[in-house]
Amino acid sequence: MCTARACDKPMSCHILLLMIFENVEIEAIKRIQNAEDLIFMQIGATDEFSGIIQIAFFAFMMLFMLYGAKFQLWQFLKQIEVGLAEMKRMFVKSRQTAIETFKEYGHSEEEVAKELDQFMDYFTIMPVDLDPAGILKRLDHLLDVRRDRFQEFVADLAPESSGSMNQNLENTLEVTQVLGLIYRIVRHFYILGKKTGSQIMIMQIHMLMPELLRLAKAYFDAIGAFSQGKPIGDGIGPLVITKFAREFGATPESYTHEISKEVGYYTVETEGRTVYALRATGPGGTVGKPGFGVKNLMEKHGKKISRIITIDAALKFEGEELGRVAEGTGAAIGDPGPEKFAIEQAATEYGIGIEAIVIKEDEATAVGVMDKKILDTVPEVIERIKSVILKRTNPGESVILAGIGNTIGIGL
Amino acid sequence: MGLISKLIGIALAAVGFVLLFFGMNDTSTMSYVYSFLGLLVMAIGFALLTAGKPKEEKLPPPTITEIRCNNCDFKEIRDFKKGDYILKTVEEACPKCQTGMTIEGVYMIREEPKKKYNV
Repeated sequence: MCTARACDKPMSCHILLLMIFENVEIEAIKRIQNAEDLIFMQIGATDEFSGIIQIAFFAFMMLFMLYGAKFQLWQFLKQIEVGLAEMKRMFVKSRQTAIETFKEYGHSEEEVAKELDQFMDYFTIMPVDLDPAGILKRLDHLLDVRRDRFQEFVADLAPESSGSMNQNLENTLEVTQVLGLIYRIVRHFYILGKKTGSQIMIMQIHMLMPELLRLAKAYFDAIGAFSQGKPIGDGIGPLVITKFAREFGATPESYTHEISKEVGYYTVETEGRTVYALRATGPGGTVGKPGFGVKNLMEKHGKKISRIITIDAALKFEGEELGRVAEGTGAAIGDPGPEKFAIEQAATEYGIGIEAIVIKEDEATAVGVMDKKILDTVPEVIERIKSVILKRTNPGESVILAGIGNTIGIGL
Repeated sequence: MGLISKLIGIALAAVGFVLLFFGMNDTSTMSYVYSFLGLLVMAIGFALLTAGKPKEEKLPPPTITEIRCNNCDFKEIRDFKKGDYILKTVEEACPKCQTGMTIEGVYMIREEPKKKYNV
């Protein structure tokens, strides 16, 4: 029974209710009509195929939930494959450049190719480090033996080459070997990853790929420099040394050879100090053994020496300016250990300071043809050397100035 | 790919989008056809838009040899020749003062990277 105040008469109440229901009905019909709008944006939603679409959608979801990782790995493998093809191209091309360079010096292309391919697998086993006592001495010995084998190989394969060119050929061989090694390592992990389906193996190599490609490209671009004897960015240290020494009257004739293997020095006087400006002997491509050169000089001149200054190219951080000059403490030398140890040991024994002046470069510039920006830093580095000598040494004292780097294309 | 192909790509992508939208708003069985056609045309459009010539391998910049007179300010720049090295005394005399000349630099001028990071 209607208890509302407004509807005293049952009849009028009934009419009112009918009107309300009618309105609701109209509203409902409208809503149903609008429902068609709601199912718009779904392809074929109102027909009999909509079920198929729904099944397809769920199948797609299930497929990606269960096999998503497999798809991703397949994608990773494809990307590694592309990088690997690029690495192979670089290796094959650099091998060809090496063959063409070697064949100019006495052997046929076939002979060179055969010998070169055999030597590509040459390896060096690092000394055992479980007992680290004397490891640097052992490492140094192994590196000497390795170097002798390289020299012997070059002498055999290029009998008509001169001493300086021999060093360049050695460098060419090393670059080709590095490219071959990068290619073989990446190929190893690619095949192993594919064989075992190991996600971690595939993902690791995929993540490292851009950096490995960058490194390989830097070496690939450098092969032309090594085969033709052009100076490289890493040679800035020795170049600074010679330019500095020449400023104070040194000549190629005043250079004292072989203080250590393939390393010599100029003796110059500046502001009452004696400077032993040491570098590897060029213009052939060698880094020599400058660490032992410093050690031998220390033993020769003893307490007269009050400072060791090393000049070298250093890897720059991304975002840093190419050719930026920086100073620091320590021995700036990037050898596997023995050379740096020799400098540190000598400095510690005599209680003298070691300083480093470095020129910032990236990999491509360090192993590629010297960039104009690097060459232009020479005057600034020389000014810094002069300032260090003036500020931190006294007249009458001696200084060792060591230019570290590959002397390819840099004369005495 | 040139500008024209890019414009065609944009046009096709737009047509494809309209077709797809139409297909999605149609409740008949033809909606499949429209939607599929729309996707196809849009894909062709995007393919045209993003396609480019394969990157040409850039030749490295030439290596330059810079020769300077030991006495005056004469400077000669030429292409690198095999056998050149920094601090090598060259055989030719300075055309200005007839004294000796030395190779003061063998270098390359590399292109500056276009992309700069403002950080």
